[in-house]
Amino acid sequence: MRDNTLKYLLVLPAVVVVFATAIWPLMESLRLSFTIGRLNRPGSLDQYLGWENYTWAFFDEPAFWNAVWVTAVYTLLTVALTTLLAMGLAMLLAPGGRLRSGVQTLLILPFAMSPALIGVSFRFMFNPEFGLFDAFFGLVLPPLAGISWLADPVLAFAVCVMADIWGWVPFLTLVLIGGLASVPRDTIEAAQVDGASSWRVFRDVTLPQLAPVLAVVIILKSIFSLKTFDQIFMLTNGGPGTATQTLSHYIYFNGMKYGQIGYAASVAWLMVIPMIFLTYAYARYVFRKN
Amino acid sequence: MNGKQQKDLWQAVQIGLIMVAIFIIMAPIVWIFLAAFKSHVDVYQLKLFFRPTLSNFETVFQEPFNLGSKLFNSSFVAFVTVALAIPIATMAAYSFSRFRLFGENAMLVTILATQFVPAVVIILPFFVMFRDLGLLDTRVGLILVNLAIVMPFAIWMIKGFIDGIPVETEEAAMVDGSSRLQVIRNIVLPMAAPGLLTAGIFCFIIAWNEFLFALILTNKHALTLPVGLALFKAEEGDLWNLLSAAGIIIMVPMFVMALAIRKYFVQGLTMGAVR
Repeated sequence: MRDNTLKYLLVLPAVVVVFATAIWPLMESLRLSFTIGRLNRPGSLDQYLGWENYTWAFFDEPAFWNAVWVTAVYTLLTVALTTLLAMGLAMLLAPGGRLRSGVQTLLILPFAMSPALIGVSFRFMFNPEFGLFDAFFGLVLPPLAGISWLADPVLAFAVCVMADIWGWVPFLTLVLIGGLASVPRDTIEAAQVDGASSWRVFRDVTLPQLAPVLAVVIILKSIFSLKTFDQIFMLTNGGPGTATQTLSHYIYFNGMKYGQIGYAASVAWLMVIPMIFLTYAYARYVFRKN
Repeated sequence: MNGKQQKDLWQAVQIGLIMVAIFIIMAPIVWIFLAAFKSHVDVYQLKLFFRPTLSNFETVFQEPFNLGSKLFNSSFVAFVTVALAIPIATMAAYSFSRFRLFGENAMLVTILATQFVPAVVIILPFFVMFRDLGLLDTRVGLILVNLAIVMPFAIWMIKGFIDGIPVETEEAAMVDGSSRLQVIRNIVLPMAAPGLLTAGIFCFIIAWNEFLFALILTNKHALTLPVGLALFKAEEGDLWNLLSAAGIIIMVPMFVMALAIRKYFVQGLTMGAVR
């Protein structure tokens, strides 16, 4: 067989799979978003009502804006905090040696853990009666003992952010350690010989060199923060009330619990739009590298 | 304080910070481990020292929890997903790596982009379709949608590995009269084998930990382990000792796999944006 035919035959199965499992459902969701789309009403999946689902979300559903707000704050906080903490931890661990390499190995664990399980374990730890956190605070800061973390809107949100940070900082640290390894050693040493302070070396030499990796980290984390579902579902299930209801959770509830699949699809598509920009930004870094 | 003392102090601070990091990383994991070996009564007493028991691991496999069937479903779904994804991804990755294709960059970006589409968007039409086809609560249905999340990683990761294999060996074999398919089978596949295994393990972890699809598409027969966690609720609340035992069954095999491929973890998840 000639290479010219073969090369297309080789990609064909993958293209078919990606089309069937990703492109088609994406397009079908777009179609559904313009229908009445109720799961319990046969035929309503083909009854079109124009932009009504979208205008409903924008003008008649405070719960939608609540989910947008929760997702936005959640994304901003988790991206900023995980990036900062990962940067710090990467600087701390990058020099290597037995202890530091050992910790680098430990960093794999949180990321191999199912996010649903992370949600469960944090619910466990923040249990007001016998959680690890309660025991810890009871010891260190007695006034904080016995707080029902997950019953308070702000605290529950904070716990969700903490669980996210716990799950993501280790992985992003590994990414950044990989980035730090590619910063030329002699440039740093030259700056040190010139008498630059550690902070100056970091700001003027390390950070600019690390910028592309840092951008990758921030974009990747933003995408996964925007999509957050598993942990929230297991940790607070959006509660108390709707205090921790992210967009993914809101879509799940409207589509699956209330059977409003058309409406859920419209909100889902509103969520796709920021993803397109982020993916575009991400793709630029991937191709620069390849 | 002189320079040496300052340096020693700074070293001590660093070690201290590293210890804190170890504590924070390990605390939730150790907490689950302890609870899994505690009796029902001990869980509610915060003991660090207790008489360990294996009874939780027996209970979770008995009625009404039946973790065995979830364990089978999770293993089966993850295994078949990987068994389908890796050969398909390898073929595509080879082609992307070695040839110029019409619309190649567009295809690669699209494949990358599908990974970033929120899973809720993908699952809505699949739910409707599977309901009409009778594929709800089946392992087959779950495998199909799992391909959606695994394929992009597999293609990008394997492409990275094949990019790293020098073309010259292949060209020499072609000059000696081998056909392209022979070259792929006799040269590329053996050389890429460790990479394929790595990608396979990576995809297995992702499929195993997958939650949203299984939550929406299954309710009884095809339930997987992460969704099965929700079963450990009684009227008096969560059964923490059983949840923890199930948690260990979910996470320990993934820890082992992740440690086995730790060198490639970063490259895999960033799809080659960071090596």
